[in-house]
Amino acid sequence: MKAVLVGPGRIGCGFVGQLLRDSGYEVVFVGRGAVVENLARVGRYIVRLTDGRFTDEVQVRPVRAVSTSQEDAVAAEIASADLVAVSVGAQNLVAVAPLLAAGLLRRTSPVNVIAFENCNDPAGCLKEAIFRIAPSLRDAGHGFSGAIVSRIVARRIGDPAGSEPLVFLGDPPEGFIVHGPSLRAPLPKIPGLRSVNDYGAWLMKKLYTFSAGHAAAAYLGALKGYHYVHTAVRDPEIRTAVRDAMEEGRRGLARRYGPELAGDRRELEAILKRFENAALDDPVLRVGRDPLRKLGREDRLVGAARLAAEAGVQPRRLALVAAAAMCFGCAADSGIATCGPEATLRTVSGLDPQQGLGREVASAFTRLTEGREEDNVLLSLRELVWSWARKHDPDAQPALRIA
Amino acid sequence: MKIGILMPRQRTSRRSPLMPEVLKLLREFGATVDVIYPDDHVTDVGSLRVEHDLYVLRSDTELALSVAGALHAIGAPILNPWPVASMMKDRIAAARRLAAAGIPVPETHVTCVPQRLAHLLEEGPLVLKPARGARGRGMRVVFEPDELEEAGTGGPILAQRYHRPDGADRKIYCIGGQLFGVLRRYPALSYHEKCGESFSIAPELREIALGCGAAFGVDLFGIDVVVSEGKPWVVDVRSFPGFRGVPDAALRLADYIYATAQRVLAGHAVAELPGLNTIGERKAVTA
Repeated sequence: MKAVLVGPGRIGCGFVGQLLRDSGYEVVFVGRGAVVENLARVGRYIVRLTDGRFTDEVQVRPVRAVSTSQEDAVAAEIASADLVAVSVGAQNLVAVAPLLAAGLLRRTSPVNVIAFENCNDPAGCLKEAIFRIAPSLRDAGHGFSGAIVSRIVARRIGDPAGSEPLVFLGDPPEGFIVHGPSLRAPLPKIPGLRSVNDYGAWLMKKLYTFSAGHAAAAYLGALKGYHYVHTAVRDPEIRTAVRDAMEEGRRGLARRYGPELAGDRRELEAILKRFENAALDDPVLRVGRDPLRKLGREDRLVGAARLAAEAGVQPRRLALVAAAAMCFGCAADSGIATCGPEATLRTVSGLDPQQGLGREVASAFTRLTEGREEDNVLLSLRELVWSWARKHDPDAQPALRIA
Repeated sequence: MKIGILMPRQRTSRRSPLMPEVLKLLREFGATVDVIYPDDHVTDVGSLRVEHDLYVLRSDTELALSVAGALHAIGAPILNPWPVASMMKDRIAAARRLAAAGIPVPETHVTCVPQRLAHLLEEGPLVLKPARGARGRGMRVVFEPDELEEAGTGGPILAQRYHRPDGADRKIYCIGGQLFGVLRRYPALSYHEKCGESFSIAPELREIALGCGAAFGVDLFGIDVVVSEGKPWVVDVRSFPGFRGVPDAALRLADYIYATAQRVLAGHAVAELPGLNTIGERKAVTA
């Protein structure tokens, strides 16, 4: 059995490649740059899994790797694969479609293509991009599904230009969810694979609890000046806010999909425990990057807040986190500073800044930006007290005394 | 990640809860943390080796500073770097360094014989402090020449012009470039008063605090500021203060120490020292 894995990144190597190899697949990576060259040269890598107390190392070997520049070789690998996996980042799905289309066109039998991307309908996006290039593939019977990944893979260690195996550092969970009806039977036998019919609901669950909480820890952590997610969630105020934000999302999920899918508070506590895992060395700057995407109308913050509001839950914490994401975006020069917060809310989040949730986010953003500067630190989330003031205010009172 | 922390002498009383909490957090983060008490042990200087990725110089005793100096001499990365901690410990050198950087420091004189300061009292009272010291130990305000008789300690004395404070002392702490202001009464009469209360730092004080850090090239320190008739004066600077009154101080310190150790492991220096061998007069940072 052979699996072709397009995208030797953190999730590609640190999760998918390891599970496929553990399942007995011959694994062929397809990618570009120094990492794929390292995999081709060294022929193996290491996945280091840690829960903060115990660490386990998994040798992933042997693996092969082919550069995307070798188009013919890539197409030949895909043509003879038993499974195709993609993990290139949601924004790159369309870009890899020609490569996949060329390989799929050479096939004599259908195959399953699984996109391990943390976004809404990655399989649909990839499939349509492939079909636009090769319309005949519409009737070829290939299976396409997204995959919801449970593991955090925080980083890659090692020099890709060197001769030592690269190390991918992650936490232990190895579950992932696919949309069974979209794949060809029989489903691949991979540890951790769970097939569901309501994929969209499970994706929402991941986005609106785990991903919302992770983003909340990063954005609020950045406001309070912490470097790492594991430190940010140890701050009592942030911990409460992260838990509350996830709870708002969970209650929205419970209303729409029922309590069984939504899970309970213990699940949220387990998620918080995972965020505490310092061995992942997960910097808030990494977790918080791409705030514009994370502020999307269906994404982890605004999507979760909308769902909560539909359920009659006031999404105050999620609104604050969305405002913190906008502050982060302004500092990171992600485009929010240029197009302005109101336009961001309208065009990216689909919210009206004058009413409802949009007004709540806009109001929190205004309050935050009163003191927000690159080196200013929020001392209190509740009172929005900053460590230094832009203007001298002789009448200010403790604990917001200005002196 | 191996971190060695040079701590003051172990004592059963007057122990701040800060460092035990910092140590606990660093260990939770997965770091191996060794606590070193230079004042409680015999250190074989000849066999001293760099055994940690980062040393944290929490203690400012003479022996701890010397051991840090020995570690510095064999290339150990130390937070704060030994030249900085040494200069901050020496109030004479620190005052000159700050003044050279344009920081408002009270008029400063040094002597071993306090009586020689008598003529300075004609201009107003003086604050006398041991030239090497920390916190308020051995500090006194002198108004009259006959008070100088009792001020001798046998060692060098730093005399600074006394500026009567307008209110509570202002402590400004810096952790990783982030500033935290604490108002504290002196002398503090209760634990609550010792902790002080947070304040948002006004722009002028912020400039001064950042200027102090820049003068020494570090972003971990504390300064004492007296505001007198509306004008701020920096009257003390410390390399690793107690950070009492800083919200979530232990967590912030652990986060900063861990990030610094990561930076060192990635091959970077603990701090970029801005020409500590050459003091150039700089433009005042205040308007």
